[in-house]
Amino acid sequence: MNSLYMPKDSLIHSLDPRTKMLFVVFVVASSFILNDPALQLVFLVALFPLVVMAKVVKPYLISIQFLLLFAVLIMTVHGIYNPIGVTPVFEIFGGLTFKYESMVYASVMSFRILVIGTAAVLFVMTTHPSDMASALVKWKVPHSFAFILLSTFQIIPIIAREAKIVMEAQQARCLDVKGSLIQRVKNLVPMFAPLFIITFMKVHQLSYVLECRAFSRKGEKTSLRETKIGSLDYTFLLGMLGFLAFEIYLKLFMMGSLQLTTDALLTYSLFGTWIVFGFMIIKFVVKQFQGKIGGAN
Amino acid sequence: MAAKAIEVNNLTFSYPDTDEPVLKDINFSINHGEILGIIGPTGAGKSTLAMCVNGLVPQVINGEMEGTVKVNGSEVSESSVAKMSEDVGFVFQEPENQLSQMTIEEEVAFGMGNLGVPRDDMRVRITDALEQVGLTGFEKRSPLALSGGQQQRLAIAAVLAMRPSIMIMDEPTSMLDPKGKNEVYDVLKNLKDYGMTGIIIDHEVERIAAYCDKVLVLYEGEVQMFAPSEEVFTNIKKMHELTLNAPQVTEFLSSYNQAFGKDVKLSTTLEEAVDNFESVCK
Ligand SMILES: Nc1ncnc2c1ncn2[C@@H]1O[C@H](COP(=O)(O)OP(=O)(O)O)[C@@H](O)[C@H]1O
Ligand SMILES: [Mg+2]
Repeated sequence: MNSLYMPKDSLIHSLDPRTKMLFVVFVVASSFILNDPALQLVFLVALFPLVVMAKVVKPYLISIQFLLLFAVLIMTVHGIYNPIGVTPVFEIFGGLTFKYESMVYASVMSFRILVIGTAAVLFVMTTHPSDMASALVKWKVPHSFAFILLSTFQIIPIIAREAKIVMEAQQARCLDVKGSLIQRVKNLVPMFAPLFIITFMKVHQLSYVLECRAFSRKGEKTSLRETKIGSLDYTFLLGMLGFLAFEIYLKLFMMGSLQLTTDALLTYSLFGTWIVFGFMIIKFVVKQFQGKIGGAN
Repeated sequence: MAAKAIEVNNLTFSYPDTDEPVLKDINFSINHGEILGIIGPTGAGKSTLAMCVNGLVPQVINGEMEGTVKVNGSEVSESSVAKMSEDVGFVFQEPENQLSQMTIEEEVAFGMGNLGVPRDDMRVRITDALEQVGLTGFEKRSPLALSGGQQQRLAIAAVLAMRPSIMIMDEPTSMLDPKGKNEVYDVLKNLKDYGMTGIIIDHEVERIAAYCDKVLVLYEGEVQMFAPSEEVFTNIKKMHELTLNAPQVTEFLSSYNQAFGKDVKLSTTLEEAVDNFESVCK
């Protein structure tokens, strides 16, 4: 597990990283153009076939869970408390009322997070970090900047491993890393101080190594991996442009007559996130429970 | 007269925050195809000396340097470390810190890419380099998933692929277990057969005696001995004065001579030692 990249053989994987970067930009732009919950939901659903095509459904769902946490929080808290709401939609126990305007606001925000998150996950999981770096270089981004980006991806697993070593070492010196929350927070200092120093030293050493591998040499550089914009990329780019034009048309001329967002839709999306969230909690609890019983993990 | 592979003249170097120089008036030279072993206690300045040869000291690691270092006849100080890397490969002590790429083939390709080697050429060189270090078939794996010995061999392959004529290794096996050490030394043995010039820093005198043509003994920044390895290691008295040991067989013959007032000719190789011993004892 070196980075988030999932090596698979798919159409999405074989797209040029630059195309995929433009795709992320396109999705971000779209999520702002389509500032209507219904349209964003449609957009989110429309992105899913790409995830399937990239063969990363399972890892995608795992990582999107965390974004869903935000969505639940935003939709619930904003739906009730955001002061822009006036029209009550429904009431839950304790006299807390979800209001239409607040729910629209909260849904747009949460769906935007999910939509952008989907695009980002899709990009990171299907793009080899070195390809990303070499694509950036083709866009005239300085080589050293591209390398910093690349090595950031790579240093994460190294730091994770060092963190484990430091933690075990400190535990061996009777540092209580499994105690109460406050105790754990306090213990971050003896954890992070050595971790920071180790990482710093490693990076420092790596800079010598890079120097010995001709990293700062002037002139043309080459890469083992080939990235090339082909017909597939052009098709994809054209598709994105077409879609963008359609979105703008929709936005400018159709919004008056098209009213997809209803109370029901808002309520069901809210319940939907709650239900998924509920499942996540149950899964988590069961796992903890199994851990306690089995003693493993 | 053909240029020496490495020629060091009157080299003195001090780090910014120390009063006394860590290298004091160093002189030595090695020919093409020779392997030099550098030994000495920790802190003697071995790493600093090695880094002077490819310009890392003083160009990247700053300090005050006097004297000259020439590689293949040209002055290191007039070139950059990146440029020097075409001639001089450097393998460091810590295997893991030398690896920066996602897969093994990319790790090997990284240095070549910086030199602008065309892709087709890279493929050939990757295959060659991995074969030389015995990592064929590992191309797509992650460098982090290798054992220490394998990682160090990968670091060597990455340097070899850049096709330097000189290879410097700073304690390449000191972080490794015995198996890892053997793996790396097996690779080194091949390098010698390929006619490479090399500098190896290591504490394992048996290995140094077996692989190196010449040995330089560094002690507190000064060259105490610089001679063919046989000559250095059989000067046991001097070695002991410098808190160093000779290979075990040499130590044995010396102790034997001392204890029984004999005069067996000292040797660093097992076979020769046995012969010498036999000729006296019979
Ligand atoms: N970057 C540095 N700055 C200051 N002093 C250093 C630095 N690197 C090494 N030294 C000092 O220089 C001396 C020689 O170090 P080094 O060349 O690493 O020795 P060796 O490799 O023989 O163990 C040591 O006393 C060490 O503390
Ligand atoms: Mg050293």
